[in-house]
Amino acid sequence: MFPVKTENITKVRLDNGLTVIGLEYHKLPLVHITVMVKRGSELDAAGKEGLADLTVEMLTLGTGRRNSQQLALEMEQLGAQYTASSGWDASFVEVFGLSQDFTALMDLVGDMLLQPTFPQEETQQSQQRRISRLIQQRDQTEVIANEIIVQLLLKNTPYAHPPYGTIPSLQGLAAGDPRSFYHHHYSPEDTVLLVIGDLSPEEIRQGAERHLGDWKAERKVDHPLPAPVRPTGRKIIVVDRPDLSQSQIRVGLLGINRKDKSYIPFKVMNYIFGGGGFSSRLMQRIRAEKGYTYGIRSSFQAGHIEGPFIISTFTPTSTTVPVIEEIVAVMEEFVAEGAQAQELEAAKNFFRGSFPLQLETPGQIAAELLKLELYDIPFDYLSLYPAAIGNVTLEEINSLASTYLLPEDLILVAVGRAEDFSEPLQNWGEVELVEYAELARGSFSLNTSRHASTT
Amino acid sequence: MQNITLDFQRDQLSNGLKVLTLEDPSHPIVTYQVHFATGSRNERPGTTGISHLFEHMMFRGSKELGPEEFARIIQANGGTLNAFTTIDNTSYFENLPADKLALAIRLEAERFANLLLNQEILDTEREVVRSERKLRTVNSPFGLLIEQLFAIAFDQHPYQWPVIGWDSDLRRLTLNDCLEYYRRGYAPNNAVVVIVGDFKREEALALVDKYYGHLKPEAPGDPPPAPERPQRGEKRSIYKKVSQLEAFFAGFHCPGITDPDVFPLLVLGHILSHGKSSRFYRRFVKTGKAVDAQVEVDPPPFWSMDPGLLQVYAIAAPGVQLGDLEHDIWAAIEEIKNGEFDDAELAKTKRGLTASCIMGLQSIFFQGLAGGLYEIKAGDCGMVNTVLTRCEGITAQDIQRVAQRYLSEDNRTVVTLQPITPEENERLEPVE
Repeated sequence: MFPVKTENITKVRLDNGLTVIGLEYHKLPLVHITVMVKRGSELDAAGKEGLADLTVEMLTLGTGRRNSQQLALEMEQLGAQYTASSGWDASFVEVFGLSQDFTALMDLVGDMLLQPTFPQEETQQSQQRRISRLIQQRDQTEVIANEIIVQLLLKNTPYAHPPYGTIPSLQGLAAGDPRSFYHHHYSPEDTVLLVIGDLSPEEIRQGAERHLGDWKAERKVDHPLPAPVRPTGRKIIVVDRPDLSQSQIRVGLLGINRKDKSYIPFKVMNYIFGGGGFSSRLMQRIRAEKGYTYGIRSSFQAGHIEGPFIISTFTPTSTTVPVIEEIVAVMEEFVAEGAQAQELEAAKNFFRGSFPLQLETPGQIAAELLKLELYDIPFDYLSLYPAAIGNVTLEEINSLASTYLLPEDLILVAVGRAEDFSEPLQNWGEVELVEYAELARGSFSLNTSRHASTT
Repeated sequence: MQNITLDFQRDQLSNGLKVLTLEDPSHPIVTYQVHFATGSRNERPGTTGISHLFEHMMFRGSKELGPEEFARIIQANGGTLNAFTTIDNTSYFENLPADKLALAIRLEAERFANLLLNQEILDTEREVVRSERKLRTVNSPFGLLIEQLFAIAFDQHPYQWPVIGWDSDLRRLTLNDCLEYYRRGYAPNNAVVVIVGDFKREEALALVDKYYGHLKPEAPGDPPPAPERPQRGEKRSIYKKVSQLEAFFAGFHCPGITDPDVFPLLVLGHILSHGKSSRFYRRFVKTGKAVDAQVEVDPPPFWSMDPGLLQVYAIAAPGVQLGDLEHDIWAAIEEIKNGEFDDAELAKTKRGLTASCIMGLQSIFFQGLAGGLYEIKAGDCGMVNTVLTRCEGITAQDIQRVAQRYLSEDNRTVVTLQPITPEENERLEPVE
């Protein structure tokens, strides 16, 4: 079974253009089914943020043959688990169950995808559930920090909003919007069915043909995507939550897109800088040496367009400014001195050695194959990966560090007790303050609030 | 449905260290785990949180290894690693390429035997843990409520304090406390090693013997904690904090992991709140009365060793009266006590549990945890293979009986979250 061999992955196209990818998995009697529509939350129109995600959930809330309760009951009578969600560049329906039920599960999947009915009452209920969740989410400071940093980094692109939308945008959705989104953006030609399970390739193909082969819908035009603009100068947003004893901190930079030829060297660079847990420089300095935080990491997202490259941490209120200063110091040192040969070797060994750990379960394998398929990367990436990691050079790492780790051009978000740190932060750059009350209403907008006259 | 079993082999070194092995050559990886039978239930008032703080110290160096070097070496050999502390156990693990097992055995034995403890490292790690406490508990939406729930529900048993410890204790723990805890808790006769994956049992046993065989056992530790006295009447409390919504967290005293009633309680929990066809989801979440409503039942290897709490919680949607929601939730539980459910619902729930059990075996890491935790908490890793048949045998009468026995008002503790404004918050003493 390992390494997942490219030649064991079957890929066929049905007559209607739908792509079917199959992989046998015989360790346990399970099947993992994913439908991926290569259209996601980037297609939410302005003012209708959250629509792609609502639309894909609506597939599970009523079809020509089953209402939402029947769908849930039939799935769960088979012991299956299912989710529907959208993200950047794609929307997903995932079903995980027992392989003996493959036909019954595919019947449900086909029904959801081909015959959704978008019942009005279900739409309204889901909108209301989503709004309530977002109201509750206002108490999760890590979510607030993440939303703001992404919103600023990807400003003026269709990726700036959270896939689940905002309270006002969800309130503004009309009953007919999900149906319209489905008709405008879903088609077999842009859809992939991936099945990993205790089944033969022929069983997988037949299941796809039988339950998704009759789907007819025209392919939709691709819209060109505007690229984000790199931040210049330092921008600081402080969200005041005076009840908190610890601040959530995000430092945002712009990263790369998935097709960038530096994708693999970028992974390695990020590991050394902040992605590698205790092996990373950020963790070493800010947790192990200073004891300022329980956790700090950097991570990047790469899709059709350049995605965020974000440093995330939290620290008691009193160490908010020292942590920010240390983050910047670690960036500056990395750029000035570069990575060491020993660090590079350790990172390469990590990525090569841990590769089989990332491809153990059907869910893990599915996630990996879908990412490749979404960005048109051939599956032999999996067999070429160890060598590609091995070829990364110190020069590449150092060049990426000096291109992307820009301590003078970044966005900083701190959510916490503003009076304890917003004044010293003014020495560091222009501070914009968002009040808790504004945040609680769920309608705050950046760039419009007044600049802080610090307390 | 084919019967899937995990056939662990159990060996024991002469110093009492137990070794569970399970060979699975299907994928070239291996998990190496060391579970210690010590958690917050083995702590005493005044030093709460020491189990977890000590877990952190295990990464801070030993005779041969510098601070964090353990982690760096494992990662630089393609491994991933971590540790966790619960009320009942402290567990360390590495997931590695198959050919790196010997390295994990050697390094784990090194920090087990030769941990380096000094004041400077304790002081740094103390602050790291206080930051973790703020993250997980103090600044999280519901962490302090759950803490209060356990503190009120238990008068005597150590489950009354949180695994991460009270902040006042974290601030005053001493190096001597750590050394004493190390001596008592980290003895070979208090630990279980688990190895699952692509390896040869005989070779692995020889390596474990080589690196752990010389360690001396400790005299039997403290007797088990005193059992909690029975609750006679509902306990209720209010917790005020800045929050967008109202919520309640409740707990019913329930039996520990070796009691057969665990299984009907598990089925009962699933009937009420597992999945979108469950009673709680249909009635409360789907209809928009609650943002969430759940019965928390841990899958058996994660069930508490001593009698613990079966938790029920609900977060009221905006505009919904929390009192009404709570009333409706207890009414839904009353229906179960009255036997108002049918065979189809029971069959669906059992099928869901069967599928979840099989899904739980996908990774060798979880296979190892299941065996190791059952061995630590119940003295028998083989119990992992009884879960499916035990659930399969549950009848409607069993469920009705446990609902009546455990989910009673007199056995219940409830903490409600009363939202306040940041201004009102300023008037109350801060919680650390």
